[in-house]
Amino acid sequence: MARFELTVNGRRHKIDAPPEATLLDVLRDSLGLTGTKYGCGEGLCGACTVLIGGKAAPSCVTPAASVAGRAVTTIEGLAAGGKPHPVQQAFLEKEAFQCGYCTPGMILEAVDLLKKTPKPTDSAIRGAFEGHICRCGSHPRIIEAVRLAAQRSNRA
Amino acid sequence: MPDHDLLAEYKRREFLQLLGSGAALTLPVQLGAAETLVRVRLERDGTVLALTGKVDMGQGARTLLTQCVAEELRVPAGKVRLLMGDTAAVPDDGGTWASLTTPETVPIMRAAAAKVRGGAVTPPSEWKVLGRSTPNVNGRAIVTGALRYASDLKEDGMWHGVILRPPSYHGSLVAVDASKAAALPEVKVVREGEFLGVAAPTRERAAEAARLIEAQWKEQPLPALEEMFTLFRQKAAAPVENNETRYPPLIRQGDAGTALAAAARRNQSSYTLAPVSHVPLETRSAIASFGGDGSLTIRTGKQAPFLIRGEVAKALGIEETKVRLIVSEIGGGFGSKQRADVEIEAARLARACGRTVRVHWSRAEEFVWSAPRPAALIEIESGVDANGRLSAWRHRNYNAGAPGLKLPYSIPHHSNEFWRTPAPLRQGSYRSLAATGNNFARESHIDEWAHLLKRDPLEFRLANIEDSRLKEALEKAAALFGWKGPKPGVGLACNLEKNARLALFVELDAAGKEVKVRRMAGVGDFGAALNPSNLQAQFEGALIQGLGGALFERFAFDARTEISRSLADYRLPRFSDLPEIKVEIIDRRDIPAAGAGESPITLPAPAIAAALFTLTGERKRALPLLG
Repeated sequence: MARFELTVNGRRHKIDAPPEATLLDVLRDSLGLTGTKYGCGEGLCGACTVLIGGKAAPSCVTPAASVAGRAVTTIEGLAAGGKPHPVQQAFLEKEAFQCGYCTPGMILEAVDLLKKTPKPTDSAIRGAFEGHICRCGSHPRIIEAVRLAAQRSNRA
Repeated sequence: MPDHDLLAEYKRREFLQLLGSGAALTLPVQLGAAETLVRVRLERDGTVLALTGKVDMGQGARTLLTQCVAEELRVPAGKVRLLMGDTAAVPDDGGTWASLTTPETVPIMRAAAAKVRGGAVTPPSEWKVLGRSTPNVNGRAIVTGALRYASDLKEDGMWHGVILRPPSYHGSLVAVDASKAAALPEVKVVREGEFLGVAAPTRERAAEAARLIEAQWKEQPLPALEEMFTLFRQKAAAPVENNETRYPPLIRQGDAGTALAAAARRNQSSYTLAPVSHVPLETRSAIASFGGDGSLTIRTGKQAPFLIRGEVAKALGIEETKVRLIVSEIGGGFGSKQRADVEIEAARLARACGRTVRVHWSRAEEFVWSAPRPAALIEIESGVDANGRLSAWRHRNYNAGAPGLKLPYSIPHHSNEFWRTPAPLRQGSYRSLAATGNNFARESHIDEWAHLLKRDPLEFRLANIEDSRLKEALEKAAALFGWKGPKPGVGLACNLEKNARLALFVELDAAGKEVKVRRMAGVGDFGAALNPSNLQAQFEGALIQGLGGALFERFAFDARTEISRSLADYRLPRFSDLPEIKVEIIDRRDIPAAGAGESPITLPAPAIAAALFTLTGERKRALPLLG
């Protein structure tokens, strides 16, 4: 077993996990944070996306121990003091989901994108989300939600 | 009409005195001849509890049925609590499939709620909730990660199961040496006939134990796809007419054979479809636990709770009444989650180790062990009269199915047939069933006629259609698209499927290395649009999914090695594939609403194939179009 500390959503956790445990495993099984999803286990679908040090990363192919000492943000950590993050709010208003399984990963990717590129072009949005699958086909609304969130943060 | 104070209204009646002031207000609802059950109930806290055997997998059933109750009981949607898919608590509304929730369960729910109110079902002209875009009632839970799907559920003391499967597509278990695995602490290996699995307190230990089990399988050979089509022709059985079934396998009128022989001009083509995978983003997962009295509870994310409960009971040799199946939120279904599989696996392990066990399939298992959309071979032979009007049509679908056989065109002599055949691959239901293949073949064949006769493909269709709503959908879609007659890179398709009238125009972009769809414009007439925003989402979503099956999706297989097991070797639509999509709904308030979850997926393939023909001059009759 490997022992290390992880900071997730601003809280420090002491983790006891098998050495091969992925960050996804630890988040879901050890910490009960099930908002981050298993979709493929190969980093090809985006469902497991979290922020590590503020940057989007696929937690299913990230060894948990490698993230010791860095700040991890999951979907559960976005809403500050119970108030939805602007990206969450935009996804809600644009109804950018159907089954919702891809949504946490999409939202975190959007948070990362808008931090790096506050005024992304449509082409930049599509590029950022190329690694994310939405089988229900909510792509058009997801793009609209990201545009809306971008517009609002640029007005603020 | 002002909102009622329902509690006040009921207090005026005698029920309260009969039931006692502390009781929840319950009115039995008489539905149909034999059914008396409480489907809608007013709770003391002013909320409304409603019950349905339907489930939600993203298609919007929860919100739609909530709207029905909110409308009829004059309460905000937020006051309605809809319980879905718990076999111990809800009526059996059948599986959530075949686009039936809207035409069948909506009227039932509206009637049940109206009866509680004590009035007639509200007519569309007075709707305040139905007919208005209503957001997904789970929206907040979705965007905060709070919504729990089957694979998110956990129970105290739960063990994890891993199933051992043959390395080949089909295999039978020959020999097992589980001694090394069984030697690990707290590991239980279970073999029951062909079933071989292992359970342990953690996923890691179960996986480790599975790796230590030595199992030998006898592989069974599998023909290649092309060989399958030959097999279908050889082994298929002609259909027996049966108009009492939901999808009649033989739909005929007049004498197609004679009419073909007499036609002024004839055309004959064959079309094929490769199998495709559903790829729900959530792989299936079930938790099974036995109670002290031998009762079994299953938690799973599936589309048919009562059917699956029955299948589990049968597989385990338990009475159905001792099995409770509770459906959780579902991360995508598309038809793949309608039968028992992971539930039986979890239950076998749970029974053998006397513990609650969860089995959660990997993506590879989801690819290989779920049942893809069937491969299809479709042959069409048709004829026109001296005036260029379609006079004879014979459509033969091998293997894939009867859905979508009904002609939207008025052709006096026709025979549309489903020839059932043995199939060597696992195959199952997939959004719209065989209608995707049948419409691809039919619309491609129509496009062939338009070109043979040097006619505009829109005009040719309109000349052979009598249904005025379908004609209107075609004309509106043409306007939405900006159709100005045939042009390179442009194609269209239409359909009348499950009472929906649909039309789609597409434009391709052939400038790059690979053909891409630049834009799509679609129109749908589903009768009354009960939740316009969700209806639009279903239309767009089905078009996008259909793009995949049209262009590049293919479940690849041979007997052993070249099987699609990973997203690395199964291409499906991503953001870079997204065309500009415009969708318009014709909302006919006074026409009972048709379901819309499936039918639009039948449009992209033939529209794109028609557009591709204008660019290359080479008619592609096999899906996926890009190989």
